[in-house]
Amino acid sequence: MSADQNTAQNAAQNAEPILSVRDLVVTFGSFTAVNGTSFDLFPGETLAVVGESGSGKSVTALSIMRLVELGTRGRIEQGEILFRRDNGEVVDLVGLSEDEMREVRGNDISMIFQEPLTSLNPVYTVGNQVAEAVMLHQQVDKAEGKARALEMFQQVRIPDPEQRLEQFPHEMSGGMRQRVMIAMALSCDPRVLIADEPTTALDVTIQAQILGLMRDLRETTGAAVMIITHDMGVVAEVADRVVVMNQAEIVEQGDVFELFENPQESYTRALLAAVPRLGSMTGLDEPAPFDLVEVEQ
Amino acid sequence: MSGPLVEVRDLTKVFPVDGGAKVHAVEHVDFTLDGGETLAVVGESGCGKSTLAHLMIRLLEPTSGTVHLDGVDITALSNRAMREHREKLQIIFQDPFASLDPRRSVGNAVAAPLAIRRKGSASEIDDKVAGLFTRVGLEPAMMRQFPHQFSGGQRQRICIARALALEPKLVIADEAVSALDVSIQAQVINLMMELQAEMGLSYLFISHDLAVVERVSHRVAVMYLGQIVEIGPRSAIFDNPQHSYTKRLLDAVPIADPRQRRERPLITSEIPSPVWAKGTAPERVVHREVEPGHWVAEESSTPATE
Repeated sequence: MSADQNTAQNAAQNAEPILSVRDLVVTFGSFTAVNGTSFDLFPGETLAVVGESGSGKSVTALSIMRLVELGTRGRIEQGEILFRRDNGEVVDLVGLSEDEMREVRGNDISMIFQEPLTSLNPVYTVGNQVAEAVMLHQQVDKAEGKARALEMFQQVRIPDPEQRLEQFPHEMSGGMRQRVMIAMALSCDPRVLIADEPTTALDVTIQAQILGLMRDLRETTGAAVMIITHDMGVVAEVADRVVVMNQAEIVEQGDVFELFENPQESYTRALLAAVPRLGSMTGLDEPAPFDLVEVEQ
Repeated sequence: MSGPLVEVRDLTKVFPVDGGAKVHAVEHVDFTLDGGETLAVVGESGCGKSTLAHLMIRLLEPTSGTVHLDGVDITALSNRAMREHREKLQIIFQDPFASLDPRRSVGNAVAAPLAIRRKGSASEIDDKVAGLFTRVGLEPAMMRQFPHQFSGGQRQRICIARALALEPKLVIADEAVSALDVSIQAQVINLMMELQAEMGLSYLFISHDLAVVERVSHRVAVMYLGQIVEIGPRSAIFDNPQHSYTKRLLDAVPIADPRQRRERPLITSEIPSPVWAKGTAPERVVHREVEPGHWVAEESSTPATE
């Protein structure tokens, strides 16, 4: 392939979404958790999916990973989840077998969760767990797996990485454990990282560290990030674009600056009115109630 | 009444752990709280803010120090006397579901403090509970229902109604809105403010969320490793923070406005452990007053926060 073709292909890829969810419907028995959502994720961007409890944001993430059918009684009833591979081929993840999906998870799309302690095995060292992920996905030997784990620990800025590799999950703080999870998720150079409430269980100073790290890593790795959150502060801090969900549907999506400055839908306006904003009380002596907006029906 | 409603002096709680080590959960804490005032206590996990709440309502006994409520030192009261005095202070916890008995109707739960203290006949208590339901924005007809039939926000309203049943002077809210969705959180905060204005309540508002604290508080105390590192009027803490930990905390809060997005240096340091090995103890902090009512711990005498 010539340099020209290469550039052209890159330009085309930048315009094409890496992940395209089309008219997705997910049900749990008679309950519809996601009802006809469509959105795109573009290479190199951070997309925030925001909503309150039960809005369907986590189910959307689990559907992309095809985890919603495992263990729970979730069913993807309808729709496509189109993933664009490195070679430009587009596959519908909904149609893949579990074996094929296992290839996608970790290699192409990785996921981190809210509570890192439940995502880590308590009886193995964290270094072993990251090395194992690399060995399974990239068919390398143990020494190479370990070397890659060390490299990843350095990349996610874990202090004293050599010593930390030998620790067990319970010996680490919540913030360090989440760094381990990010190291593991990024160890096989995925094109998409899905982060489901990655900082919700963390203290605010540690949250700031993890969000900063995720922003840096997006620049160094070029992975597209889809962050699921209930926190409008986190959205404002990291997102390029935003999808707002409520009651299983997307109510609004768009550029983060436009969405905060000029929300189009009544639900988005009501949500933003309820968000406490640091600095909003400057110059006032007394506490002040929120100026709440009713959602128009 | 003269003087503050609450006066906490030199309050300390030390928990022993294995091998003679000790957790200094609350260390020489001093503050006052006036009638009708909200003092917010902010800090991160393990800073001692919940232990402080439990000490103030005597769910824990302090290692040393005093808590005066309405001029009475509650730490010196017998259990029987404390039971009487507890009418004046109530607590609301983070998880309203865990705070309500699943097999008891919510009306019965709200009536319980009144029934135990024989505050009127059954029909009088019933009327009072109906009034409380209305006051916190619930239909009195809901009294017959059970906790699982309510949403999280409604359950927290029920817990507030129960806390108000005995007409307390002080309500301790321990992360009372932290588990709620943001639109519900705002409604419950607005309700708490209305009730304060109506009933002249004082709140000790314990929270990790600085943006919420800025909304609700008259004064703010910042806790770090069991100690108050900074305390003062809300505007002084938020507009003119002095302690390096307060500054670090404020810097870390994501602001819900993308135009105010901040580039931060990547810090990887963590908060030191509050566990002290046998024979060691934290150094006692010295506070200085930087402006009226705004006190800051001398940094040399606190552990480095970096």
